[in-house]
Parts: sequence; structure tokens; C-alpha cells
Amino acid sequence: MRATSERQGVRARDHAAGPAVPRVDHTPLLGTWINFDTKTTGISRVELSDRDGSLVVRVFGTGEPEEVDWGEAAAIAFSEDVRDAEAVAFTAEYDLGFERVWLAGYVNRRLLTVEPGTTFADGNGRAPYFTRAHLYPE
Amino acid sequence: MTTTIAYRRAEERLTEPVDGAPLDLAPVVGTWLNADKGASGSILRMHLAQRGQELAIRVFGATGGEPYDWGEVIAGAYANSVTGNEAWAFIARYDFGFMETSLFAYTKTGILVQTTYSVFRDGSGRANYWTREFFHREEA
Repeated sequence: MRATSERQGVRARDHAAGPAVPRVDHTPLLGTWINFDTKTTGISRVELSDRDGSLVVRVFGTGEPEEVDWGEAAAIAFSEDVRDAEAVAFTAEYDLGFERVWLAGYVNRRLLTVEPGTTFADGNGRAPYFTRAHLYPE
Repeated sequence: MTTTIAYRRAEERLTEPVDGAPLDLAPVVGTWLNADKGASGSILRMHLAQRGQELAIRVFGATGGEPYDWGEVIAGAYANSVTGNEAWAFIARYDFGFMETSLFAYTKTGILVQTTYSVFRDGSGRANYWTREFFHREEA
């Protein structure tokens, strides 16, 4: 890997100078987020919590007769810049056996957008699929 | 076949059998240029190509000088539903050693919207960071 400055990077934004960020503050992400679409057939609810400094996500999908709890997964928080300490986005991975979900989300003006990419391993012929959902804080 | 298969969202249930054919990658294949022409210092352009039945991506980072070639990796292509047959989105992951970057992207009305998520592993004190960018196809 080529080093273009003292700090390695693959684009200019990686090299932004500034003091080290000891920890990204998860607060802007935390809480329960509800899908705006009351008729959704996708993700109905997302919970994000801080567990001893680690970000944890819990997703609920639509189902019958009630929501389907995906359980908890470790998440990674992201800020808007290498020098920022406030979280605005996250990623997580769910391995649910018959399917694997790569989940990403970001907050803008108290709107959480989540983007799950899902692949199936059960041989039922379902296509890998990607959706988007918009959620508001409870 | 409506409830016998596993699902975690109602939209994953099938009302009729599907053939599991590979996705048509044409909607995402091609060269995509960042609408900001690299001004944000992030990604300058991306090349998406079909390799057999797989989708390959090659990213060039904006540096202010010569674009930085990230190299080519295989991306996951995604339809818009479990019965879809055309790719409209992809997810790719680059492992640079000192940093890992995940790309999530979807297309909409001729625009490709992409978010990136970079995790530093080099102890440099840089915060893991996120970007959102918009791309258009290179004109022929």
C-alpha cells in the first residue's frame, strides 16, 4: 500500500489533519427508531444502544402475527470525518443461518435511513435483495 | 409455499416459486463519475464490470493529483426484491490493511447513490468515517 503522507490513505479525505479522536460518541444514534411506513413489509423497528462503550443494534422485521426479532448484533459507529467525534452512521452484520444481512444506516436531521443487503443460503431461489427504509425516533 | 420457508421480514415470503437465475447486472455495469468531480476528496470514479456471473468493481480515489487506484474486487449485486431479476444495488468491501472500507450503493433514475464506511485499524487516532456521494454515468 502506497503511503501518500505520514498517515496512509486511498483518498484525500483519509489524510485530514487534526487531533486524534479517542472515541466516537454514539448518542446521536441511540434509541428506538420506527419505520415511517406503517404498511412496510420490511424492517419495522431498529433499536440502537450503547453497551459499555460498544454500539449494539437490534432489528425487528415485519411478520405475522407479530414482529420478528432478529436479536442483537455488534455494530460499528462512524462520524462524518476522520476528525469528528459524533456518530452519524453505523454498520452491522447479521448471520441468520438461512440468510446473511449486511446492514448500514445513517442519520440526517433525526431521520434514520437503513439499507439492508440480504443474501440467502437456503437454496429457495430467492434473489439477493437490497432495500431502503426511513425511520423516526420513538 | 407461502410460509414454509424461513424469513425475517414479510417481504421475504414467496407466493410462487422462483428460479434463482443470476441477476442481470447491466443496470449497474459501466463507468460512474462522481458528480462533484472529486472536490470532496473522496471517490473520483468507479468502473463496474461483469466477470462471468459476478460483478467486479474498481474504484479510483480523489487525491488532488493522480487518482488512487483501489484495485478490483468482487461486489455483491442485489435486486430490489426476492423475486427481482435485475441488479439495482451493490455492496463491496475493500481491505487495505490499515483500513477497511465498505461501499453500499443503489441506482435511481440514472443516478448512483453511494455511502462508504471506513474503519481504521492502524492506531492513527482517526475516527471511522462515513460519506455519501452521487454518481452519473460517463457519457459515451
